[in-house]
Amino acid sequence: MSLLKRIDELSGSSKVRKAWFSFACAIFLVVIVIPSIFVVTNLVTDWDLVSMVAQDEAIRSTIIGAVANSFSIALIVTVIDILVGLPMAWIMVRKDFSGKKWLDTLLDMPLAFPTAVLGISVVMFWVAPEGVNIPGLGLNLSPYMLLVLLHILFTYPYMVRSLSAILEQIDPNYETAAMTLGASRWTAVRTITIPLFRAGLATGFILCFARSLSETGGTYIALSMMDVKSSFFTGPSFISWLKDTEPGGGALMYSSDEMMGAQILISVVMIVLALILLIVVRRLIARFHFPMDKVWPELGRKVSRGALPKAKDFVTIAFLIVVVLLPAFYIFMYLAEPASDIDYGGLLGSIGISFLVAGVAVVVDILIGIPMAMYIARHKGQKLGQLLDSVVNVPLIIPTTALGVSLALFWGSLGLDSTFALLLVILGHISFTYPLVVRNLVGAIEEVDPAYEEVAMTLGAKPFQAFRKVLFPIVKSAVIAGGILAFTRSLGETGATLAISPTMNTVPVYITNLVNQHAYSEAAMCSIVLILICFVIIFGLRMITNRRSRRNA
Amino acid sequence: MARIKLEHISMRFGDFYAVRDINLDINNGEYVTILGPSGCGKTTLIKIISGIWTPTEGKVFVDGMDVTNVPLEDRDVGYVFQNICLFPHLTLKDNVAYSPRVKDQGEEAMGSLSTEYLSLVNMLSRAGMFPKEISGGEQQKVAIARALASGSKMLMLDEPLSALDARVRVELRYELRRLVKKLGITVVHITHDQEEAMSVSDRIVLMRYGSIAEVGTPLELYRHPKSVFAANFVGETNLLECTVSERTKSGKTRVKLRGGQEVRASKTAFNVGDPVVISVRPEHVYTANDGLRAEVRSVVFMGTYWRVRTIADSRDFVDFNVPADEEVPKEGDVVYLVFNKKAVVVFARPQGGIEEEIKLE
Ligand SMILES: Nc1ncnc2c1ncn2[C@@H]1O[C@H](COP(=O)(O)OP(=O)(O)O)[C@@H](O)[C@H]1O
Ligand SMILES: [Mg+2]
Repeated sequence: MSLLKRIDELSGSSKVRKAWFSFACAIFLVVIVIPSIFVVTNLVTDWDLVSMVAQDEAIRSTIIGAVANSFSIALIVTVIDILVGLPMAWIMVRKDFSGKKWLDTLLDMPLAFPTAVLGISVVMFWVAPEGVNIPGLGLNLSPYMLLVLLHILFTYPYMVRSLSAILEQIDPNYETAAMTLGASRWTAVRTITIPLFRAGLATGFILCFARSLSETGGTYIALSMMDVKSSFFTGPSFISWLKDTEPGGGALMYSSDEMMGAQILISVVMIVLALILLIVVRRLIARFHFPMDKVWPELGRKVSRGALPKAKDFVTIAFLIVVVLLPAFYIFMYLAEPASDIDYGGLLGSIGISFLVAGVAVVVDILIGIPMAMYIARHKGQKLGQLLDSVVNVPLIIPTTALGVSLALFWGSLGLDSTFALLLVILGHISFTYPLVVRNLVGAIEEVDPAYEEVAMTLGAKPFQAFRKVLFPIVKSAVIAGGILAFTRSLGETGATLAISPTMNTVPVYITNLVNQHAYSEAAMCSIVLILICFVIIFGLRMITNRRSRRNA
Repeated sequence: MARIKLEHISMRFGDFYAVRDINLDINNGEYVTILGPSGCGKTTLIKIISGIWTPTEGKVFVDGMDVTNVPLEDRDVGYVFQNICLFPHLTLKDNVAYSPRVKDQGEEAMGSLSTEYLSLVNMLSRAGMFPKEISGGEQQKVAIARALASGSKMLMLDEPLSALDARVRVELRYELRRLVKKLGITVVHITHDQEEAMSVSDRIVLMRYGSIAEVGTPLELYRHPKSVFAANFVGETNLLECTVSERTKSGKTRVKLRGGQEVRASKTAFNVGDPVVISVRPEHVYTANDGLRAEVRSVVFMGTYWRVRTIADSRDFVDFNVPADEEVPKEGDVVYLVFNKKAVVVFARPQGGIEEEIKLE
């Protein structure tokens, strides 16, 4: 208590407050931003390695092909997400039906699955790979198609969430107003609601695109299950493959110099392209003119009534079930099989590591994220606020594998080598989860009228006291939501972990290794155990916070 | 051209009736306001008239045609939302041209109609601006222009002036009335402000608990309200509990207040001994040398007159007005009050008591 009091006292001085904010900024710069893009400097320091690789015809074309695959898959996936996500957002926000709560929960579930698990589940569902004795659909899909289907799984919920969040803000009366003026529902949506969506579309687009671009674990698992991991690449899967010491892995094919050069080259290419894309997409969406000069009243009427709207809703729900939910949950089919013996010691050990990494990362995220979020939310109109607002997003759009490579190089250059693997992995996980926490917090703090705190301070509260007693209780649920998001994201991450330290056995890495050894049923059982633990934790947290808030109400 | 008729209209949400068994005729070109406390079903009623909602029971007729199940976009009813709802991504001109656009009436019609209606509300010079660049009153004018540009002969206004400054509100309401009267449009205007209702409408529909409490011209409702609720809600009034003490053959009535003071009232059909309530507006209360004894509790300057609040010997609060330039009593003074007997309206005493009857929720 006396410590809190002392902090209360200290927070009264504006110097102390400035120092604290500067400290949070410095940590953000040194621990998150600079390491994330440090690899770009290796272009200069390791130019000989990079140029050697770049001149090697075979490696160069592999890298170009991998990057092209990554970007085109991300684009296709995002466009599909938008097309099916829009009607889904409508159903979630504007419709009332029984079972909506269930649908709402189901929609988020794939986010709680480690992508490595989703990789196994999706391959099992669509194709029947060798070594898996659970019957799947057995389609003869190309790796490209399969990756599109896989990436939809973990991007679609993000898209629906971003679009719903915006749709909730758009007054349904706009649409009604348009209809009283003679517009059919279809025309009203096309000319009024969709153009108002801009911001949501931009966020959804960037989130999904970045997520697909950087996904490693599920992608690599899917490719190895289809036995094409050494012939079909995405950017992140190429980096994983380079480090793969199993049979068929790239580590056996290249010298360590070639490996280093190739890693640097592809990481830089992915980072630079991703950053350019972020800027271009922002610009494009802000400028895009939604065509509304021409209307077709008759057509609009026809598609607004009768069977068509119902068919649209049906297709939307069917898509959710067939393309997202069934493939995601398909891995539970293994529960029907006779249990294979799992190495519980190994699994629990890796779960321990995963939870340690995710837990520490989330705590640090929250501690240094709160001052940052408060600054951004309260200084939206100022240059520094806006700058920080966009820089915070950088680790979110950089492919996590490239980020991992970059981080390892940065800390390595400072003398933190692989003996500090655990620390490095934690630092890496802080980088890509930090934006999730800050984003959530900024949104919540913006909603809170600064007058609350000011009133508290006019009543004699010190700034830190006002924060503790007034602001924090209000935004607590956003802190928890952001924390859960960051925690699950960390728990599911494969690419960055592998890129930083191939020996750090977090759960997704552990599962990936099992898959590489074709121990599918064991991998599946581990996945199921992991999913169940995740759910218990998430629901536990939700219950606790719900009960608290109800008691306080 | 636009006669509206509602027959047994009800709107049920679950077990709750937002409006119940409404019957109403609105004439062509009439300016009707719907007045009532918030939550009484005003918005629900005009959403049903305009086709935004379909009533759970009853029928809507326009010019004798049953339009209950005609879809919203074919109803051709102008509707101005309480929160204005101009399309934020379109210029004022494009907002007003929206209806001709979605009806595919061609560039020319879009241009001429938007020009015509924007100039009608004096906003033509701002045509290229976006909604957020103009003030609330101006936005409301553009919203009205947008509704009118659809060519509709009916206009529903949901508290169109409630978000505006007092002065703008007063100016705009007369402008609005002049405009729609010029165009011969039938208007249903919702408000919870009785002064607004009194000053613009041809007829006031007073609603309460989802039902119509009373319908009449502003003057009728003011002078001859048929219920304690109407007397209290339309204009200010003093309500005093009493019993009928005397009634002549011709109907002239005297009532006895609590405490025994007798007061003369207008003609009624009550019997001696009936429990009643009298309503007398502050402007019909005067001081005299003799009458109901009362003690002054507060004196407030209202801008153009003094409002004096007293507590009478009958244990009722009685308010009255004193012109600004006249002498006013001071707090604690004792005054004697008399009422203008023609303006004393007598009601049967409500079952649940006066408080219950004039409650707003
Ligand atoms: N969509 C709805 N679902 C349930 N109840 C509603 C709905 N819309 C309005 N109500 C209820 O109907 C009553 C009348 O509402 P409304 O017509 O908006 O009142 P007013 O406009 O007079 O303030 C209110 O008690 C409101 O809570
Ligand atoms: Mg209303």
